[in-house]
Amino acid sequence: MSEKIKDSLFKIWIILSTLLMFTVVIYIFGYIFKNGIASINMEFIFGDPKGIPIGSEGGIFPAIIGSLFLMIIACIFASILAISTAVYTVFYCRFKKIESIIHLIVQCMAGTPSIILGLFGYTLLVLYLGLGRSLLSAGLTLGIMIFPYIEVRVEKTLREIDKSIVESSYVLGISKAYTIFKLILPICKKDIISAITLAGGFAMGAAAPIILTGAVIFAPIPKSLSSPVMALPFHLYILTGEGISLEKAYGTALVLIMILLIINIISVVLNMRGREHS
Amino acid sequence: MKNIGEKIFKFIMKFLTLFSMLLLAFIVIFIFKESIVFFKEVPILKFISGKTWNPLGSPDDLSILPIILGTAYVSFVGIIIALPIGVGSAVVLSSYTGDKMKRFIRGIVDVLAGIPSVVYGFIGLLVLVKFFEVKFSFSSGESVLAGGIILSIMMLPYIISTCDESMEKVYKEYAQYSNALGVSKSYMIRKIVIPESRRSILASIVLALGRGMGETMAVMMVIGNAPIMPKLLKKCQTIPSLIALEMGMAEVGSLHYHSLFAAGFILMLILFIINIFLYFIKKRMDI
Repeated sequence: MSEKIKDSLFKIWIILSTLLMFTVVIYIFGYIFKNGIASINMEFIFGDPKGIPIGSEGGIFPAIIGSLFLMIIACIFASILAISTAVYTVFYCRFKKIESIIHLIVQCMAGTPSIILGLFGYTLLVLYLGLGRSLLSAGLTLGIMIFPYIEVRVEKTLREIDKSIVESSYVLGISKAYTIFKLILPICKKDIISAITLAGGFAMGAAAPIILTGAVIFAPIPKSLSSPVMALPFHLYILTGEGISLEKAYGTALVLIMILLIINIISVVLNMRGREHS
Repeated sequence: MKNIGEKIFKFIMKFLTLFSMLLLAFIVIFIFKESIVFFKEVPILKFISGKTWNPLGSPDDLSILPIILGTAYVSFVGIIIALPIGVGSAVVLSSYTGDKMKRFIRGIVDVLAGIPSVVYGFIGLLVLVKFFEVKFSFSSGESVLAGGIILSIMMLPYIISTCDESMEKVYKEYAQYSNALGVSKSYMIRKIVIPESRRSILASIVLALGRGMGETMAVMMVIGNAPIMPKLLKKCQTIPSLIALEMGMAEVGSLHYHSLFAAGFILMLILFIINIFLYFIKKRMDI
């Protein structure tokens, strides 16, 4: 085959694949938007699910609130662990070996399928610790799921900091803890928050870990950490899987991706501002 | 006083890091502990080599070879579809676009990665499965192929972002020389950028494989969930979907319950191997 033909084939290949990717994204959003917009109204967003079987009429308000609660719990739990781990690896860990072991473990956690985390949450939190199928169990399970994502991004930000600032602070006799709190974390604040929001969106969309640990077909807005919750992804799964109401399923999918899109945009905006600042 | 504060802070950081690391150990221990009960009844080799899965029958009927094969099959179909598209897009993204366009495309890729798996499953069920049933008049559109296509869309962002990073590096390194020599851009990409990025392409394949094998919701909604030997156009079952579907029905403490943990344990082992492999590929990539 002559080089010219190879060259054109190559160009056709890369253009087609990029176009295909764009088409898929546009199609997914277009499809959900087109079909879902009709079922969005005040009652759908702010009402409780009604009808027999439940969910065939009414709204999804408890699921929206449930999902937000789950996201908040997961984010708090995961970010405490993730930021500590990142700070430890970057500023305290003196041995290269320990550092690479930590990286390997984090990577293995990131690679653990969400359903395995669900199983784990089910045995440890729901059965052994007796938390039951609840907001807390589901939130913590989601927290374990997003921990590696936050850790990796926070660690990357911490490493990108200008070393000379940190060194100068040490030289002035300022303690490590003080430097971290007053100097380093404020510099990376926006990047860290951006990482947490992005991971929060990821937690919100996950259904597999919460099927076993706390999501239920119908529950009112959770009053305490030990009450079961509704969640948007699980609700969507039930509506389609059980064939309850296609129209409501489209609406739920639209609400879910809209919330996630907003979270994504917030994260991107924060990230950009952070970049400009530094 | 200051010193004590410093020490406490260091201790807290150390403790929380240790705790996070132990989480993985906890996950392994708990899954293993629940599955060991099952492995005492049914030997592990029999479990992964037998061909029937019937939780209502005798313990001998609990084995998951078709399900393991199904898990692998769906992921391979996904990778075969996603790899050319992903690498092609990564080439465009890394070498043919300006800064603004780059940011835009990366944003699109992030959006694709941010769509929840349950939404992919939903669309797969309503569009893809229906399409197979109507256009090709399959008796059931739920198939390995449908699962593979949906997975390929979900794998795209991983493949694109892994390849794009190293391709951009290679491209920047050689662009000036090849321009100076008057070599055409596409020739240079074909002969230098793609071959030089083969390691990251491999990394992206392994990453996507891991993602695909662990994917639950999207796959579960489109493959039909029948524990039979997988064929491209027939229904099949994957380990994650098996667990998600049957855990709710299995009585706590029953053999069925423990067998699901055992299936999870096998899945976890497969994924650990994949991830350790990936870790070493990535490590060598950096040097």
